Amino acid sequence: MFKALVLRELMTVLRQPRMLALQCGLVTLFTLLVAVRWPTDARVALSGVRSQEVFQLFALGLLAIVLLLLPVFPATNIVREKQQGTLALLLNTPLGPWRILFGKLLALSALAAIIFATSLPAASACYAMGGLSWSMLCSVYGLLVLAALEYLTLGLLISSHANSTDAAVRGTYGTMLGLSVLSLGPHYFFQGTKGALADGGEYLRSLSPFAAMMSLLSAGDMGGNGLISTTDVARRFMIGALVISTIAALWTVSRLNHTIFDQARAAGKISDDQSWQVQTARRLFFLVDPQRRSQGIGSFTNPVMVKEFRCRRFGRLHWLLRLVAVCAVLSLGLTYAATAGTLDWGVETIGSILVVMQVALVVLITPSLSSGLLSQEIESGGWQLLQMTPLSTWQIVWGKLLSVIVPLALILCATLPGYVVMVYIEPGMKLQVQRVVICLVATAVFAMLLSAAVGSLFSRTATATAAAYTVLLTICAVPLLIWLGRDAPFGHDVVETALQFNPIAAALSVIRLPGFRDYTLIPANWWFLGIVSVISLIVLLVRTRRVSRAR
Amino acid sequence: MAAPPPVSREPASNSSASDQPVVVLEQLSKKYGTFTALEDLSLKLYPGQILGLIGPNGAGKTTAIKILVGLIRPTSGTAQIAGADCVRDSHQIKRLVGYMPDRFGAYDNMRVREYLDFFGAAFGIRCKTRIARIAEVMEITGTEYMKDRFVESLSHGMQQRVGLARTLLHDPRVLILDEPVNGLDPQARIEMRDLLIRLAGLGKTLIVTSHILPELSRICDRVAILTHGRMRAFGTVEEIGRQVSQRRTMEAHLASSEQVAAAAQTIRRHLEADAEVTEVPLEATVRFRSARPEQELGEVLAQLVKANIRVTQFREVQTDLEEAFMTFTRPAEPTPAASSSPGGVTHV
Repeated sequence: MFKALVLRELMTVLRQPRMLALQCGLVTLFTLLVAVRWPTDARVALSGVRSQEVFQLFALGLLAIVLLLLPVFPATNIVREKQQGTLALLLNTPLGPWRILFGKLLALSALAAIIFATSLPAASACYAMGGLSWSMLCSVYGLLVLAALEYLTLGLLISSHANSTDAAVRGTYGTMLGLSVLSLGPHYFFQGTKGALADGGEYLRSLSPFAAMMSLLSAGDMGGNGLISTTDVARRFMIGALVISTIAALWTVSRLNHTIFDQARAAGKISDDQSWQVQTARRLFFLVDPQRRSQGIGSFTNPVMVKEFRCRRFGRLHWLLRLVAVCAVLSLGLTYAATAGTLDWGVETIGSILVVMQVALVVLITPSLSSGLLSQEIESGGWQLLQMTPLSTWQIVWGKLLSVIVPLALILCATLPGYVVMVYIEPGMKLQVQRVVICLVATAVFAMLLSAAVGSLFSRTATATAAAYTVLLTICAVPLLIWLGRDAPFGHDVVETALQFNPIAAALSVIRLPGFRDYTLIPANWWFLGIVSVISLIVLLVRTRRVSRAR
Repeated sequence: MAAPPPVSREPASNSSASDQPVVVLEQLSKKYGTFTALEDLSLKLYPGQILGLIGPNGAGKTTAIKILVGLIRPTSGTAQIAGADCVRDSHQIKRLVGYMPDRFGAYDNMRVREYLDFFGAAFGIRCKTRIARIAEVMEITGTEYMKDRFVESLSHGMQQRVGLARTLLHDPRVLILDEPVNGLDPQARIEMRDLLIRLAGLGKTLIVTSHILPELSRICDRVAILTHGRMRAFGTVEEIGRQVSQRRTMEAHLASSEQVAAAAQTIRRHLEADAEVTEVPLEATVRFRSARPEQELGEVLAQLVKANIRVTQFREVQTDLEEAFMTFTRPAEPTPAASSSPGGVTHV
């Protein structure tokens, strides 16, 4: 029975034609990754430096691929079964929650194994070049396996708590980004100092598989500023991954019973019907109370935009206002701290923090807001109803885009006070700040249109969200991977060309963050963002027209 | 919620209604490559009429509906609603037709009033008018008590009511409802039936598809049976029933089950040789099918009385829609396509 469960889980995924395409794509990618850097010279250094350089790139690339591709499978697994009703059937069989979880985990691990298997020929090629020890190869794959296990168990846990597939995908990718990338942030700013903040940053960094992989490969740390860390990050990561995986697995098992279904239907409580004390308290807490009886849609307002705001859980106005408030306070606080001399960071570093914070928010939030613009309607059956209204296709699309533009504008405006103070302190930075703002606006438009265009190619919201995240994160991550190898194996020109495609790098180079200030990335980056945005808009309009027309 | 009182239905005739048909389909066909989804569908509907569109899965019902609402283009033929062409005047059609698909189309985290407000705004109804209109349709459909509930948390029956309220928002002349009673419990089904009858009473023309034939036979003025994209029969339930069989089914209820055998013998003696006579002792009933005219059937009753058989009831059993449906959709006996006239007479 257990075997049947594993086989069903695995076959459901492997039967999809896109899986075959994915495997072929991975093999090609890994081959290219090694072939591009394969020595063409007749002489090879005995130390195997070239091989190690290629292997560093290959290992980090493989890790990025695992983190980008794998989380979507566990994220949609339990929640989809719950929606389709097969989870109830599964729980009704003699298979207990443990066997169900391990069956799912085993099948998902097999998928990870397939990804690793496709990378083995490329890894063997690196090994054949010399300079790589067998133990190094095993350690790298061991770390990859643990990282995969951690994100698989976390994905299943999030899936068991989610009520929709797209919410599960969003949650899983958000967690993955937080653990692997954002966890590196505090260390970058507190490295070289002593105290609780520095230690905290160090521990937080150990949660990131990227930091662990860099440490294992003895490569310079990400944003290390020349400082060498003596902490065994790889060991800490491995222990952390095992602990997180165990906790996540136990937690998921505790969800695989009647509690997953035992939910009362929302009663539809309304604040207006409660006492004035409750109403006032809610108003103070929420700023915009989501339980207030809403007014009718204004006669001249785009109804689709209002609908989008009302029906989305993530990105509702009361959350956005809080987010904006936090950003504004943080930006002003940081700027004040820098000017008051309590932090010895300099204006550029403060500016970089603001840029990183905003870009991270844009990259994290935008795909979840705009990738399902079309697919959500198609999946819920709402598109047919919208088509039956006199609203034109353009009005529908514009309303939907407006519902993304407003929150993005709020996020971008949130840190403006910080920039204004920066320019006030150092008027020489005016041009820099102006360029950064242009970079951020261009990034937001680019992320919105690209996510919407990629999402419009799929009819399922979960797939659309996962695809949008993958494409956007690939554009953001791949140039940064190349940047990591900026001294070797990649030269200045190669890194500069790669970074020109990266909106984060462009903003960081404009603000003159160490490590990025040597590259001239604008206006080439603006051209890239502009062209891709226009193409994405065309794709979105064509796709919308296609699904709207009478067949 | 107190259920509204049951509504009785007097079929709307063409003569009592307006002379101008609201829905006109002429030689409507839809082909996908070599597959014919719909072939030469022609019919007319008048204001206040309810058409029941029935047929097995894949018969072409949804295709016909989607052509009417402008979601699919016909390969040939024309479809008009209140003079507006379903292909050319799609913008006008949206205002004339209220379409309720078989899927509800719920939006997450949206309350019923917000849901109706959105669709009202999408139809361009001004804010003040919209608020009044929402209250009106909520009253018609009995959904006022759920105005603050989230649409995705409603039961299926509640969602169907909200769906109907949404369909009525812009006050369309024609309502096209795909499986409105599907999945409803008996109570909700009765309420929905009464609601549809009330809407027809308000002068709306309704086109309803359903697999629950007894429901349709209770509310529909006209029934169209489709199989393999072709219309096999069109008319009132009675007209279709008469076409199904040239023989009438009669039933004689007796005072005692002991007389069933004697009654069956007497009936057999006075009917044609191949007449089917069925004895049902448990119900003290004899059922028979005969092609004999009314007068001769009266003679059968006289003979029963003469033979001292105590007959408590002697009546004709109406052919129901289910039986008609099974006859027309039976694969072994293909029936030629039917064409219809405005009078509802079907030529098979």
